[in-house]
Amino acid sequence: MHVGDTISVIASFGVPYRIRPVRFRWSGRLFEVKEVTYTWRAREGQREIYHFSVSDGRALYELTFDTGSLLWTVENLEA
Amino acid sequence: MSRIILCVDMDAFFASVEQQVNPRLRGKPVAVIGSSNRTVIVTRSYEARKFGVKTGMTVGEAKRLCPGLVFVVGDNEKYTHTCAELEKIHCRFTPEVEIYSVDEAFLDVTTTHHLFGGPGSIGCAVKAAVKEQFGINCTVGIGPNILIAKLVSDISKPDGLRWVRDDEVPALLEDLPVEELWGIASGTRRRLEALGIRTCGELGRAPVSLLRNKFGIIGETLKLMGLGLCNRSLLVRPEDPKSIGHSWTLPQDVSDRKRIEAYLLQLSEMVGRRARKYRFIGRRVTLTIRYPDFETFAKQATLPQHTNATHDIYESVLQTLDSIRLKDRVRLLGVSLSELVRDPDQMSLVRDKVREQALHSAMDAINDRFGDFKITWGAYLSQIEVPSVIAPAWKPSGVRNVHIRNKRQHVKT
Repeated sequence: MHVGDTISVIASFGVPYRIRPVRFRWSGRLFEVKEVTYTWRAREGQREIYHFSVSDGRALYELTFDTGSLLWTVENLEA
Repeated sequence: MSRIILCVDMDAFFASVEQQVNPRLRGKPVAVIGSSNRTVIVTRSYEARKFGVKTGMTVGEAKRLCPGLVFVVGDNEKYTHTCAELEKIHCRFTPEVEIYSVDEAFLDVTTTHHLFGGPGSIGCAVKAAVKEQFGINCTVGIGPNILIAKLVSDISKPDGLRWVRDDEVPALLEDLPVEELWGIASGTRRRLEALGIRTCGELGRAPVSLLRNKFGIIGETLKLMGLGLCNRSLLVRPEDPKSIGHSWTLPQDVSDRKRIEAYLLQLSEMVGRRARKYRFIGRRVTLTIRYPDFETFAKQATLPQHTNATHDIYESVLQTLDSIRLKDRVRLLGVSLSELVRDPDQMSLVRDKVREQALHSAMDAINDRFGDFKITWGAYLSQIEVPSVIAPAWKPSGVRNVHIRNKRQHVKT
């Protein structure tokens, strides 16, 4: 379980720019997203990277969704 | 017809964003700092302000005033994204929007406010939309011009909303200290004080001849400011820049010539790339140097022809550097290109220039596709970091939209 790992995510895609991670599986463990505290987009060349700061009630995770690779990653963790 | 201007100013912007991101920071004194070890306080939360923590203080100074202060390394990508989204909110109410800085915008709603229930309703709607989308607060000042809108916003913080109409301006200004006015800094305040002028009311009544004698051409502008008058239009469409530049406070003071050259090449590439991206060419190249004692000087050189080629800029700053005897190590380096004109895309007849243009186009195309600095000049491959400080004048579009990369850092306590 490392920061930088790619993860499986269940997310809802709502009105424009309202992607909301609902739960994610990281190294076999399931995490329920209790709060999405902030979302922002950044650009890496032509690829857009969506960032989600989410809390499961115990820790704060920064998840990213890369629109180029369609991969979700745990970018940061604050326990 | 009297104009109606809204000034939308985010409250403690970067700190509020960080408190929203991390629920554990909410209600705590928070200071946003840069990522270098020579950083200062960039902004601070309202909780930190109560302890006297101010922008520009060193971490040590701030910690002495507020031992419980939480330091957070700023994340520019969050702030620039939020600024770009804020512009979309503003544009729901009027096309006349000036993004003045990363956390401040002016909206001219003179001809649109009736569609939304009046200026006050627009102010409420903007505040609600910002709160709903980002969870943070802003203050809205409404007035008959940008001077009054900005003033009203400043004195209504935080989380305020106030509309000062034309006929209420004299009463607002009568006893207000002159330094509360946008554009009157401490130097001007001291010079006005020497004339016995302390309040805006006194400034408005001062004879224009007295002000002109003391301040020259801006004397008349000061008089108008004292009366609460300002005819500056909103800059809705970005004006062509006068210069394109980058500067960098180095991680450590540097005396080694090779390292200075590597930094200058990197800065020249950043300037050249931005000029090429927005299709400007310039003829004057300025090198700025700051020593550890903060003595700063700039020296310019004029090129035989306009350019945006990295190596033309780099060779010019190297020649300028050769003409200077450095008296100490270097704390900050800056490179800028000015006397700008639109690039007419003139094809060069010189074979080397054609090859150079092709090289820049290829490099820019690769970096556009894969991200900044994915392909770069070998001479600065040894550099370990790139500048990551956002300028307050950052804007979501135009030449001031500088892509600032983040350095990943966790919260420091």
